[in-house]
Amino acid sequence: MKRHVGIQILVVLIAAMMMLTSFACAKTPAAPAAEATEAPAAEVTEAPAPAAEPVTIEFWHNYSESDGQIAVLDELIAKFEADNPGITVEPVYMEWSALHDGVVAGATTGTLPDVLRGDIAFVPQFGALNVLVDMGALPGYADVAASVLPSANSTTSMNGSNYGLAANTNTKILYYNKTLLDAAGIAVPTTQDEMWNAASALSGDGKFGFVEAWTGWWNVGPYIWSNGGDVLSPDYSTATGYVNGEAAVATIQKLADLYAAKALTGPTMDPGAIGDTDGWASGTYAMEVDGPWRGNALNSAGIEFGAVPLPKGTASSTSVLGGEDFMMFASSSDAEKEAAWKFIQFMVSEDAQVAMAKVGQMPVSIAALQNADALAAMPLLPVYVEALQTAKSRPVIPQWSEIEGIVATKASEAITGVKDAQTAMDEAAAEINALLAG
Amino acid sequence: MIDQQKQSRLKRNRKHTPWQMSMRYILLCLGLLIMVIPMVYMVSSSLKPNDIAFSYPIRLIPTAQEATLSNYDYVLHQKNFFTYVGNTLIVATATTVFSAALSSMLAYCISRFRFPGRNLLYSIIITTMLIPGLAMLVPQFELAVTFKLVNNLWGVILFYTAWVTPFSTFLIKGFIDNIPRELDEAIYMDGGTVFTIYRRVMLRMASPSIAAVSVFNFLFAFEEVGWSQTILKKDELRTLPVAITQFFQAHNRTDWGYVFAMTCLAMIPVILIYVLLQRYFISGLSSGAVKG
Amino acid sequence: MSTRFSRAKSFFKRKDNIRMLALLFPGLAVIGLFTFYPIIKMFVMSFFDWKIGYQQVSQFAGLMNYAAVFSDKAAGIAIANTFYYMLLTVPLQMIIGLLVALMINGIRRFTVTFRLMYYLPVITSWVVVALLFRNIFSNQGLLNYFLMDVLHVTNDPIGWLSTRWPALTATSLLGIWKGIGWNMVIFLAALQAIPGEYYEAASIDGLNRRQQFFRITLPNIKGTILFSLVMLIIGAFNTYTPIMVMTGGNPAHQTEVVLTWLYYQTFSVSGKMGYAAALSFLVTAIISVLAVLLFKVFSPQKEERKS
Repeated sequence: MKRHVGIQILVVLIAAMMMLTSFACAKTPAAPAAEATEAPAAEVTEAPAPAAEPVTIEFWHNYSESDGQIAVLDELIAKFEADNPGITVEPVYMEWSALHDGVVAGATTGTLPDVLRGDIAFVPQFGALNVLVDMGALPGYADVAASVLPSANSTTSMNGSNYGLAANTNTKILYYNKTLLDAAGIAVPTTQDEMWNAASALSGDGKFGFVEAWTGWWNVGPYIWSNGGDVLSPDYSTATGYVNGEAAVATIQKLADLYAAKALTGPTMDPGAIGDTDGWASGTYAMEVDGPWRGNALNSAGIEFGAVPLPKGTASSTSVLGGEDFMMFASSSDAEKEAAWKFIQFMVSEDAQVAMAKVGQMPVSIAALQNADALAAMPLLPVYVEALQTAKSRPVIPQWSEIEGIVATKASEAITGVKDAQTAMDEAAAEINALLAG
Repeated sequence: MIDQQKQSRLKRNRKHTPWQMSMRYILLCLGLLIMVIPMVYMVSSSLKPNDIAFSYPIRLIPTAQEATLSNYDYVLHQKNFFTYVGNTLIVATATTVFSAALSSMLAYCISRFRFPGRNLLYSIIITTMLIPGLAMLVPQFELAVTFKLVNNLWGVILFYTAWVTPFSTFLIKGFIDNIPRELDEAIYMDGGTVFTIYRRVMLRMASPSIAAVSVFNFLFAFEEVGWSQTILKKDELRTLPVAITQFFQAHNRTDWGYVFAMTCLAMIPVILIYVLLQRYFISGLSSGAVKG
Repeated sequence: MSTRFSRAKSFFKRKDNIRMLALLFPGLAVIGLFTFYPIIKMFVMSFFDWKIGYQQVSQFAGLMNYAAVFSDKAAGIAIANTFYYMLLTVPLQMIIGLLVALMINGIRRFTVTFRLMYYLPVITSWVVVALLFRNIFSNQGLLNYFLMDVLHVTNDPIGWLSTRWPALTATSLLGIWKGIGWNMVIFLAALQAIPGEYYEAASIDGLNRRQQFFRITLPNIKGTILFSLVMLIIGAFNTYTPIMVMTGGNPAHQTEVVLTWLYYQTFSVSGKMGYAAALSFLVTAIISVLAVLLFKVFSPQKEERKS
């Protein structure tokens, strides 16, 4: 009898689940279908003039929601769609690694977006996957390229072709917690040595003078460049004498000393360390060399801060070029490619770039960089423009992401004291050479 | 049978001294304390305002003035929160139902019939349990593209079903092995077919084990992140765990209060399922494969 | 066996065979297509220099990928770390789970409550509990707070997650904490299936509690122990989220486990699919060998019933 009741409960449960499921089946296919029929219908009534086939392009990006960039993007897309009847842009947000892994997973089958706005480091990597469109051959590319910063657009050029168009640029500058520096009576550093000394002076009692989010070339590279070192020879043929050269090893050794003295930390060197954003907010970290997003984060955390271009090393002040590029994909149809190119041109126009500047994206459009509204919205723009003049791009070669991974691993081994700096960097050079040869 | 077990257990217990009994309760409560500290930490963090969620020194329980429901308020008013919950429930429920159906049918056939390739089939099922699922991400993604399952809840449901069915089959088969064959024969005598036996004997007698695997399967589908993140790119199709992950990565500053509030809410359906099915859970596991 | 076969033969007309196939087919189709086919494909890939990318040609590479795995120091570290995690989590979860089950089995009231409370960690999502544990073990976390400001054992925060072995131990503690409930349920089921008469007979024979445990309880749950062992070993090799969230494999891939390393090779670098495929087959081979050994050690007589 008891079992009987049990069965009845189970049957009811299963029936309920079945109902839920059939509801799901009814709902899932219906949703996209409804969207597809509604959207073009609305446009046809609005725009009678061009009879072009309606086309929908998928746009993958990682604009930040909390900074209000997604809201601006939605406005921009609405404007673009109004200007270009028949084209629908479907934005898809993915965080950095999901964006990257999504392209890698979709590469073989061609399940890719029509436009992607992603890290400049993606260009050589996706280029090696053979999925990108050579945009240099598109009509009007030269004119558009001339309207953006040449250094920023240099990140799209590989083997003489352009596999993208610069979307936003940035570089890294030194941010410091004004309150902490003032309290310790420390002047804003102007040289690397002063910066490291300040880091030591600001540390202790659970606080760290300096935080570094990762140990890739993106992080250690600027210091090494500024001390006259490099990662590869200028013709990208070898790493020997460069990544394990005197300047590089001495710089890494300095970072290792700082780490051992608890003046430098970061979540990839010490997984137990508090993340850089949370650490800044709680006053644990005093300095970091970072990009424009750091300013936004510090503002929203209510930290009083200042920023200066990267302090000079023994040779120069050479920071690293960052930012994002627009990319187009070989798997799109011709109509989609045409629409995608229109959309990209729209996104690098002065108006669109200024709108994005207001929510923290540094423009590449030369006109937008001088725009008064953009300057007003980004008080640090002049500092960045100064830093950009000497900033260097990382090598745009297909093996780069692997090289960056090797540098990150070996530098981390050296900094955390698993190996001594010379040994670790020698190993890095050997591994990189093997990669360049193969 | 269950009543008998219970009685004999009670009989055994009767011999225990009150001292032994209270020792057990004390030990269980002490263990519980360790088990629930992280959970308490989670719930209390969901009640703290964002800026003090992980401030140092740490407070396990927020003070009365600090405690706030604002995180819940924010999460519940997120434009897509209920869409995420709906998607997750649909995916988890469908996976549970499909895998229950498929694995009980497979288990019945493997347990009761000898047919060519039966051993091969069973060893395939065991092997698929051994391979790390994540390893197959790329070939499975290609498959999903071929069948147009990208950006489609079916893509998640079908793959989840395929992943959990081997283990479910394994468990249910062990249970069916212990169901007396005389029942089958009686139905054949009455002119019943294989289907009749499946419906009248297997679904009924094996229901505890089906309920037990359903709890496992529901939980799996409810919290899986990797695959559903790969295959569902559109915001309105995302499942709750993916939304939570994207959520704490999207913001410059991690809003722990929101993350934990979402998590606490996400636990409610799973607890409900467990409470509803827990009676069958133990008896479903107590005979069958688990016994070896 | 043979009697069952002949009996079955006499009972089934051809129609029933077809009906049986109808029951078999849906499950076969789903598993075959969505799980077994990808496994075969992975096996093929492990012998190729597999290129992901649009319209790219992959070249046959023989055993090159397997050689690459064997000569890869980081893969060695990842496999060693996985074994460490396994050796720590598997026995401890089982022993604690069994103890809890024994106690819950021995009490009369609140059994359902205890069962639910101990099961709570199992039904919480991995991502979230891993985040919680990261915050407990981080330098400014709950544990260091207790040690420094409540108990005053130490003045400096201890870097639980900062170096290889402590970090792996911390992730293992998460694995144990989350696995106790599952083991408790499994063992509780096994304990309840032991007929009470056994114990009555034993107490008539004058066996004390401990003797009862070793002579009656343990032999009767031997099958469950084997089952749990195999499942937990598979689970240990499938560990991904705890490491990913708590250390991310840092510093310098020192805390990487098999799956995180596999994921890194597949996605974070440049899609070494062949390498990843070879590594996952080596792991499968390791698990299979362990499973077969366990079956041999535990129940030689059960083997034949299983087949």
